[in-house]
Amino acid sequence: MEKEQPAKPRNARLVASAAIPIVILAAMVAFLLWPGNSILNMGVPLPDVTIERVEFGDKLITAHVRNTGPQAVEIVMADVNDRIVPAAIEPLRSLERFAEAQVIIPFDWVEAQPYEIGVTVSDGTRFATAVAAAAPTPKPSADQVSLLALIGTYVGIIPVLIGLLWLPFLRQLSSAKYMFFLSLTAGLLLFLGIDALVEANEISAERVSGAFGGQVLIAMVTVISFVALLYVSEKLAGGRRQQVAGAFAISLMIAVGIGLHNLGEGLAIGAAMIAGQVALSTFLIVGFAIHNATEGLAIVAPLARERPRILRLVLLGLIAGAPAIAGTWIGGFVASPVASIVFLSVGAGAVFQVVVAIFKFAGKSSKFLSGPVVGGMAAGMLVMYLTSVLI
Amino acid sequence: MSSAKILLAVVIATALAGTALAFSSAGIQAGAQDPEKTVTGHSAGLYQTSGDVLDPEHFDGRETTDIDPDKYLREFNYGRVSTLPDGTTLREFTIIADDRQTMEVSPGVFYNGWTFNGTIPGPTIRATEGDLVRIYFYNNGTKPHSMHFHGIHRAEMDGVFEQISPGGRFTYEWTAEPAGLHLYHCHVQPLEEHISHGLYGVYIVDPKEPRPEADEMVMVMNGYDTDFDTENNFYTVNGVPFYYMHHPIQIEKDRLVRVYLVNILEFDQINNFHLHGNLFNLYRTGTMPEPDEYTDIVTMSQGERSVLEFSYKYPGQYMFHAHKTEFAEKGWTGIFLVKE
Repeated sequence: MEKEQPAKPRNARLVASAAIPIVILAAMVAFLLWPGNSILNMGVPLPDVTIERVEFGDKLITAHVRNTGPQAVEIVMADVNDRIVPAAIEPLRSLERFAEAQVIIPFDWVEAQPYEIGVTVSDGTRFATAVAAAAPTPKPSADQVSLLALIGTYVGIIPVLIGLLWLPFLRQLSSAKYMFFLSLTAGLLLFLGIDALVEANEISAERVSGAFGGQVLIAMVTVISFVALLYVSEKLAGGRRQQVAGAFAISLMIAVGIGLHNLGEGLAIGAAMIAGQVALSTFLIVGFAIHNATEGLAIVAPLARERPRILRLVLLGLIAGAPAIAGTWIGGFVASPVASIVFLSVGAGAVFQVVVAIFKFAGKSSKFLSGPVVGGMAAGMLVMYLTSVLI
Repeated sequence: MSSAKILLAVVIATALAGTALAFSSAGIQAGAQDPEKTVTGHSAGLYQTSGDVLDPEHFDGRETTDIDPDKYLREFNYGRVSTLPDGTTLREFTIIADDRQTMEVSPGVFYNGWTFNGTIPGPTIRATEGDLVRIYFYNNGTKPHSMHFHGIHRAEMDGVFEQISPGGRFTYEWTAEPAGLHLYHCHVQPLEEHISHGLYGVYIVDPKEPRPEADEMVMVMNGYDTDFDTENNFYTVNGVPFYYMHHPIQIEKDRLVRVYLVNILEFDQINNFHLHGNLFNLYRTGTMPEPDEYTDIVTMSQGERSVLEFSYKYPGQYMFHAHKTEFAEKGWTGIFLVKE
């Protein structure tokens, strides 16, 4: 007790020294924002409204709009293909900053036809978004949930489990060939990570308002996801257990990273379904299934010199594959473009962490940049590029 | 807390934030306590909503627009009339230009209208062939403006080279000729900007031998480019989109109707007028006593105008609209209600 007494004033001083700059800053902000202060009244703030998604129902078109501008706006009109149409807006026509509303348009739309949906705000500015081909938006019914779960299983779980069957093959390889295949998986994953970033960037550029700072968000989430998973994986692998646990820990982290990545893939499939790109999503499903078989290879590669139990292998496969199901649900029923780029970026950071983990593992038995490693990486990325072009 | 836990917490928080954003769109449920309102859709039936209705096409009972097409339709200004010593009729008008008004041009849509005497279109000026017309013009705006009248007059009365500065004034004077349907508008550069903002109106010169008695009305076809992308967001007749859809123009069966139709539409190459259930005698520019055509559609470029004469054989509701359907669906439609 006696010892703590002198500590208190020191704590108070610490708090005060931290708080004083904040108080002064707050005073300055208050001064600038004070009603009637005209110092910062330069120019007119322009409204900005983003139509985040469009749903097609029974003779209804529903547009989800968000006020992404610097001030409150009032939505006063809706249009389909730039022709004025009667509509309802729920809950209210006036939208605070970042507030959201649904514009519901009674409209006898035609399936597979492109549509442009627009809204006009009170100063006469029109904001619009295009839909490539109208298709009935799936409602979260039991049928749809199970259909998406089935698709997620085909895309995520089954291909990953198939990929795990390469384990006996890897066992029989010489050290150099084994390094080649290990590096091949690293190349595959590196490609997937870059691909996810490119896709996130596309979504950000096309469908996310500048107010959300899409590109910065992508970079930030990717870095955080990468360093956090790297840290966790080192904690796991560097534990008191010895080499066996280390190899399994690496496989586990690879599975977790791939799982996060597959969540993003599921999102893309689900979103393609609600966006009316039915034919496109069939391609996506086949493409992802082929891609993902190679992910199984990445998971079992560190275990090639071990004798893992089958149950553990299946568990790894589920960790890597099952998130695809959750991804299709989120993407299909609720996702906003902002959520999509967050998930894609988490997945990108995760696969980059997996690539680092694979190289760390590979570095234990040989020099980092050997011929098989370079060849394997190049081959892995090339395989992914060619499959993505062909599918 | 160890740094590992902090990092984990950051990852979890990021994931939660992303999920929250993802699900936020599903969370919106309109307040169920509000009374239901109805949206009348295009051929797709009705929709009940507890939210707000966005519908410039059907009247919701609010008289909010700053423009009154009903008043404008049959309002002719003959000026302050006096007789000169030589027997000539003098008609004096006062016109004030302004460019500082914000007007509700369609329900909820506010636009910086530039006006003659506070309205879009400006007042309809009417004289008889041979009258002396004198316009006292005041520029009450912030930019130079002028009045350029179509018709025959001296070069210095043309309103092109004499730009009237803000706060300035000018007196235009000429003898009204020829008989016909003309128009006036501001002729200050950039012309497109001054006209598209609303500085125009109708100028009618009646022939000395009056036209037959009729139910006369003025229709000015215009548009508004409210987002300034050189494409019109709205098309109207007499200033408010869809106005005569919910305020039908009442006319009598078998009575001659005369429409003074003027096209001032900016940005688009053409505009037109189509009449339902009837045909009309078309007098292009209204300068000749004999009709040019008996038709149900007239297409005009910017600045063109025509006098239309018709009478309805049967009572009921008849549409009139631009037969450019894009214009029709952006506001250029109306209804004649023909009564017994």
